[in-house]
Amino acid sequence: MSTWGLIKTVFFTALTVVFFFIIWVENPFTHHAEYEIPEEAEKIINDPKAALEGRELFKQNCTSCHSLRYDGIYLMSVTAKPEWSKIEKTMGKPLLEEKDGKIRVKGYFVPRDVYESVAFADLQALKASFGKIPPDLSTMYLSRGAGYLYNFISDPQKVLPGTSMPKLFFPEYDKEAPQKVAKIVAYMRSVNEPPPGEKAKRALMGVVTIAYFIGMGALLWLYRKKVVASMKH
Amino acid sequence: MLRRVVDWIDERAHVRDLYREQMVDYKVPKNLTFPYVFGVLALTTFAIQIISGIILIMYYKPLIAHAFDSTNFTIMREISFGWLFRHIHAAGANFFLAIVYLHMFTGIYYNAYKKPRELVWIIGWVIFFVLLMTALSGYLLPWGQLSYWGMVVTTEIPMSLKEAPFLKGLLGAIGETVSIWMKGGYKLEDLALGRFFGLHVLFLPLLLMILVGIHLFLVRAAGISNPDGYEIDKKAEPEKVVPFHPYMTLKEGAYAMWYLALFFFFVFFHMSHFLPADNFEPADPLKTPPHIAPEWYLLGFYEIFRSIPSKFWGFVAFNLSLIFLLILPFLDFSPIKSARRRPLFFIMFVVFVISAIALTILGTMAPTPTNAKLGMFFTFTTFLFFLSLPVISFLEWGWYKAKGGQS
Amino acid sequence: MEASRRDFINVAIGGMGVIGALGVLYPIVKTLAPSAASTTEAKVEVDISKVPELGVRVTSYKGKPLFVLKLPKDLTIDKYQVKKEQVNSAGKLNYDLLKGHDVFALIGVCTHLGCIPLWKPEGSESVNAPYLHCPCHGGLYTPWGDNIGGPPPRPLFVPPQKLEGSKLVVGEPGFVDKLV
Repeated sequence: MSTWGLIKTVFFTALTVVFFFIIWVENPFTHHAEYEIPEEAEKIINDPKAALEGRELFKQNCTSCHSLRYDGIYLMSVTAKPEWSKIEKTMGKPLLEEKDGKIRVKGYFVPRDVYESVAFADLQALKASFGKIPPDLSTMYLSRGAGYLYNFISDPQKVLPGTSMPKLFFPEYDKEAPQKVAKIVAYMRSVNEPPPGEKAKRALMGVVTIAYFIGMGALLWLYRKKVVASMKH
Repeated sequence: MLRRVVDWIDERAHVRDLYREQMVDYKVPKNLTFPYVFGVLALTTFAIQIISGIILIMYYKPLIAHAFDSTNFTIMREISFGWLFRHIHAAGANFFLAIVYLHMFTGIYYNAYKKPRELVWIIGWVIFFVLLMTALSGYLLPWGQLSYWGMVVTTEIPMSLKEAPFLKGLLGAIGETVSIWMKGGYKLEDLALGRFFGLHVLFLPLLLMILVGIHLFLVRAAGISNPDGYEIDKKAEPEKVVPFHPYMTLKEGAYAMWYLALFFFFVFFHMSHFLPADNFEPADPLKTPPHIAPEWYLLGFYEIFRSIPSKFWGFVAFNLSLIFLLILPFLDFSPIKSARRRPLFFIMFVVFVISAIALTILGTMAPTPTNAKLGMFFTFTTFLFFLSLPVISFLEWGWYKAKGGQS
Repeated sequence: MEASRRDFINVAIGGMGVIGALGVLYPIVKTLAPSAASTTEAKVEVDISKVPELGVRVTSYKGKPLFVLKLPKDLTIDKYQVKKEQVNSAGKLNYDLLKGHDVFALIGVCTHLGCIPLWKPEGSESVNAPYLHCPCHGGLYTPWGDNIGGPPPRPLFVPPQKLEGSKLVVGEPGFVDKLV
C-alpha cells in the first residue's frame, strides 16, 4: 500500500471508530447528572441479602402509594380488599422464589389493565391528593439508576423540587434511616437485575460467544490462505 | 450416501451447475478493498434481525395495556433467553443502520452509483428509507417514554407544512391530515400501536426482503464496482478477476465472524445505549421525558431540521437532503469514477463525511445558540457537497475531453 | 504435510460450524421451555360442603381440568360392567382406592385422546347409573373413572388428595398418595 493509501485508510478508520465510540459508548459532549452514594450505602445496595430486608421495608413504607407489580407487590388498600386474593390467583401469573430449597409462590403478577380496574378508586384517590398517580416502581431502578433513587428517597425535594413524594426517612430521628433507604434501593435493584449466579452465567456465555467468533474467523482466514496458495500452483 | 442424495437432486434440479455458475464462474475484481465487506455484513445483520424478531413476536402483545409488560416482564424475565433475543434485536437494529450507512459512504466514495449502477443505488436508497421506517415503527413497540414521545415528535413533523410561506391553507391541510392519519386519531393509542406493529413485523420486513433481492440481482447484473474506477472486461483481463468462491466467500466469511464477535460484545456487555434507561419508564402521555432526541441514525437529518430557524424551511431542507442522496447519480455526471482518481471529489467527500458526523454529534447536544450556528454551518457544508457535484462533473468532462476521451 | 494441515482446518471448521449451529439452536429451543409459572398450581383446595350430591365441581390442577364428584353413599361398582383387566398405574381399579369416599377428585381428561368427558348423573338406557361419557369417541367410565366401554386404554388418572374437615385438598398425599 502506498503512503497516501495508508494515510487515507487510517484517517477513515479513525473517523469511523471515534464516531461510533462517541455515539455508542461515551459521549463527552453531553453530560448526565451524577448522583453520589455514600460507600456504606453502596455496599448495602449490592448485597443480595439486604434486598430481602428491603422487600419488607418496601411493603411497610411504600405500598400506601406505590405498587411494584413485577414482584407481586400492590397498593396496601388494594390487597386489603376481600376479593383481591382471588383476583390475584385467577388473573395473575404466580411469581416463584426459592426458600430453603423449596420453590414457593411469593406473589402474583397481575396484568396492568386488571390491576388498574380493581384499584381504580384507590388510584383516583391518590391522584386527588397527590396531583398524579404515584408510578408503579417495577422498572424504576432501570430508568433512574441506584444513585438517583438513593438520593431521591433520602430527600425527594432536594433532587426533584416540587415533587409530591414525601420524605419518609429522617436521619435525625432514626439512626438507621440511610441504611433503610439503601436496603429499599437494594430491593429495587434485585427485582430488575438477574441474580448474581445468572449474571455470571450470562457473562460467561458472552465470553464464549465472542471467543467462538474470533476463532472461527481466524480458521476461515487460515483456510482461505491455504486454498489460495494451492490454487496458484 | 450424502453424495447419492446430492446426485439425485442434481439430476433433477441441476444444483451443481447453479453452484458453479453463481459461485465459481462468477468473477469479481481482485482489488476489492475492505469496505466492500459492508454489503455482506448488512445481509448478515438482516438475517439476525429476522430470526430474533420471530422469537420476540411470539411473546409481544401490541396493546397499550400489555406492550410494556410483555416486553419487560414476559420477554425479559419469564421466557428463558428472552433477554438475549431482545438484546440481539435492539443491538441488531443499531448495527444494521450503522452498516448500511458505512455501505452507503463506501458507495459514494467509489462512485458505485454511476452508470451502469444507477438502479443499484436507487433501490439501495429505497432500502435505506424502508429501513428507517422499520426502525422507527419498531422503536414504538416497547411503549416506553422514549418510544411514545419519539413517535409523537415524528408524527408532528408533517405539521411543519402549516408554517409554509405560500399555499398555507392547502399545505397545512395536507400536513395535518398526514399527521393525524399516521397516529390514527389525535392521540397515539391502540390503533396506532397495532398499525405500527403490523408494519414493523410483516409489511416492512417483507418489502425489505424483496428490495434486497432486487438490489442483489442488480449488483450481479451490473457487476461489482471497482475501487480504481475502471470497468473490468472479465473476458479480456482474466488476471484482474478472481472466482467469487473461494476467494471472496472465505474472506468475507472471516470478516463476518469478526464482525459478529464485536456485535456480541455489545449484546452481552454494553446494552445501555441500545436499551436506553428512559425507555424503561412506561409511556405517559402527560409527561415528556427530559432528554428527548431521535435515535442516532436520524440525528443528522434531525439536526438539519432543528438548526434552521424556520420550521417550514427546516422541513424542506431535511427532505431535500434525503432527495439529494436519491438523485446522487444524476447530480454527479462526471465520466470519471472513484475518489481515488478525482481529487476535487475526494476533498468534497471528506467535507461531507465530517459534516455528517458533526451534524449527528451536534444532534446529541443541547440546542444552545452556538450549537445552532454550528448546525447551520454543517448543514451548509452538507449541501455544498451535493451542489458541488455538478460543478466538479462539469470540470471533469472538460479534462476528459482534453485528454481525448480517456480518463 | 501440506495436505494434512488443510485436512485439519477442514475438520476444525466443520466441527466449529456444528458447534455454532447447536449454539444458535440452544437458546432458540430454550425459549420454548415451559415457564416456571405454569409448573405451579400444585395444590388446589375445594370446599366440599357446597358440592351437591351427584354434583360435580370443575377446577384446574396443573393445567388440567379437575373433577370433584360427590356420590350417593350407596352407589357401588356392582351397578356397572367394569372392564376389570384395565387398571391404573398402581395396578388396581380406581374404585379400590376411592371406595368409602363419597367425595373425591379425578383428572378429567379421557385417557384415549385427551378430550374432557361429560358427567351424566342421570345415567342412560345402557348404563343405568351415573357415569362419565367422553364425547369424542364414546369412552365410558364409572364415576370413579374405571372403564366400562369404548376405546380408552386405562382408567382416568387420580391425583393425590386428602380430606381436611370440609375441604378436599388436591396435590397433597392423603387417601390417595400419588398420581395413579
